[in-house]
Amino acid sequence: MFRFYKILKHLCLLLWSAFVVFPFLWSLSTSFKDANAITGGATYIPWLEYAPSMQGWASLFTDNEQGINIAGPFVDSALVTILASLVSLILGTLAAYGLSRFEYRMGFIKNSDITFFFISQRIMPPIVLAIPFFLMLKQLDLLDTVAGLVLVYTALLMPIAVWVMIDFFNGIPKELDEMAMIDGCSPIEAFFRVVLPNSIPGLVVAGMFCVIFGWNDFFFAFTLTFTQTQLLPVAIVSLNSSVTPWWSLSAFALISIAPLVVIAFIVEKFMSKGSLSGAIR
Amino acid sequence: MAEIRLKNLAHSYNPAHQTEQDYALKPLDLTWEDGKTYALLGPSGCGKTTMLNIISGLVKPSEGQLLFDGQDVTSAPTSKRNIAQVFQFPVIYNTMSVAQNLAFPLVCRKYSDKDIKFQVDKVADLLDLTEYLPMAAKKLTADQKQLISLGRGLVREDVNAILLDEPLTVIDPQMKFELRRKLREINKRSGITMVLVTHDQNEAMTFADEVVVMQDGRVMQSGTPEILFEQPQNTFVGYFIGSPPMNFLPLKNDNGILTCDHTGFSQKMDKLPSKDQYSLGIRPEYLKITEQQNASFGIAKIIQIDDIGIDGIITLSFEDGPHIKLKTRDHKSLHLNGIVGLSMPPNKSLIYQNNNLISSNI
Repeated sequence: MFRFYKILKHLCLLLWSAFVVFPFLWSLSTSFKDANAITGGATYIPWLEYAPSMQGWASLFTDNEQGINIAGPFVDSALVTILASLVSLILGTLAAYGLSRFEYRMGFIKNSDITFFFISQRIMPPIVLAIPFFLMLKQLDLLDTVAGLVLVYTALLMPIAVWVMIDFFNGIPKELDEMAMIDGCSPIEAFFRVVLPNSIPGLVVAGMFCVIFGWNDFFFAFTLTFTQTQLLPVAIVSLNSSVTPWWSLSAFALISIAPLVVIAFIVEKFMSKGSLSGAIR
Repeated sequence: MAEIRLKNLAHSYNPAHQTEQDYALKPLDLTWEDGKTYALLGPSGCGKTTMLNIISGLVKPSEGQLLFDGQDVTSAPTSKRNIAQVFQFPVIYNTMSVAQNLAFPLVCRKYSDKDIKFQVDKVADLLDLTEYLPMAAKKLTADQKQLISLGRGLVREDVNAILLDEPLTVIDPQMKFELRRKLREINKRSGITMVLVTHDQNEAMTFADEVVVMQDGRVMQSGTPEILFEQPQNTFVGYFIGSPPMNFLPLKNDNGILTCDHTGFSQKMDKLPSKDQYSLGIRPEYLKITEQQNASFGIAKIIQIDDIGIDGIITLSFEDGPHIKLKTRDHKSLHLNGIVGLSMPPNKSLIYQNNNLISSNI
């Protein structure tokens, strides 16, 4: 009976992994096909079912007319994601610490209301924000610039950072801050010297969320840019024309998710070392 | 090092405090002399920890003043008070080594590296932590972590006071005794004032020069362990201090003469309002069992014998009357349901009017 259950479990997991991995495998095999192989029906095994071609990958790294510019979108995406995540993480962590440790009162508005205000920014469907953001960036002359996108993405990512960090700080006993103050720290020193070093696991999680959401966003990257600035998701989709070069598009998509895969592996290593668990007591 | 004075101090966690019930700490006046050991003793929720947090500055009192050596520090930030505090559960800085933990208060106060090393080594030696100094603090056991918390208080030689908030809860009994002895020793040698919060009377009585008994945010009595034992100012202290607690027997007031049924006790006193409640307090340690014919404090029946090792606790019942407890070493010769006589040294009986001591007969 137990054996049967075990086999069933593994079968289910296998099915699920196939389901998850399939799009990647599909992209991978497509990136090595040429026009003939793509239109010739569903084929999966190179050399046997189709003749592999490097044309898709080559187009990403050629500088001439046929080549596709990936460096520009890559740099823009990286700049926007890293800057917006950093600003969100710094401001969000400070806000979360304040909300976790001090009591604020503005008329009927209390800590929980301020927290909800932050999180409500994510509850709202993004389409609601598209027109206001567009008009505001236009006013500031920041449409189609990296700086404008950093501003918008900070507004989108900060709620995530605040949310994750409030929860994390609430899990750190306030005796830790109190002890630091008894030991001679001012409240701000207590935060930087004692609470922050203990919060690295939380910061990693919050940072990871910010990077993933920032890197993957298509909607605002699409509505707020035209020609000067282009982020990866938009650049990939823009390959979709009357004759779509599926080979280049697949290769491009695979390259664009590579940084996230690398981050996932680093964080996984970090987690397995146990640095992310049992920070307190 | 400083004398600590709490002047008309009161605190309420409710900002709109109106009635007395709103106060976690009712108005009180206390002076703690420099270099002595004190214990705050009382049941949970009686305001002990609040008082400690006010002294260390973690809580700002809603009324009154806090003085260190006559200087008002009521609004001074925690970091400027130079107080050490040890919480009930060990608080350590997980990201640091044991040595860094011990050095932290000195690093915050910008001591030189040489001084820091000297002090840390000294404290580590005192607390038997030397071999653990280079280890990560989070790898240690709970009682070792608590030693680190304590050590962080001891590295500052000029600390005003060490406040201990039930720090021995997580420490096993053998170690508890040892640590208490060590704390006393440190106090005697360095003259640092120490305040221990506890709900364990043995801990309080063996540790402190002076014990402050609290209930419901009020100081019930403050004095040496001996005074608390011999002359509890009210029935709460009599009941709270001592094991088993003090016996209280109801007294009848007959025009200025107080009598206790079944015991033959009577006492004449002046000015006794007839509507007040009177009771007689006797420590179980002072009651003696005698032959029936020699009984000076009535005759009673033994209804329970509890052997607690070398001593026995005998519960007796007067005929149709109240129960009374007695502590004796001769409990082996007593039998359940036996009728015995009782006697009591007259100077050990205490009379309480509405739960407050009015006569001690000494």
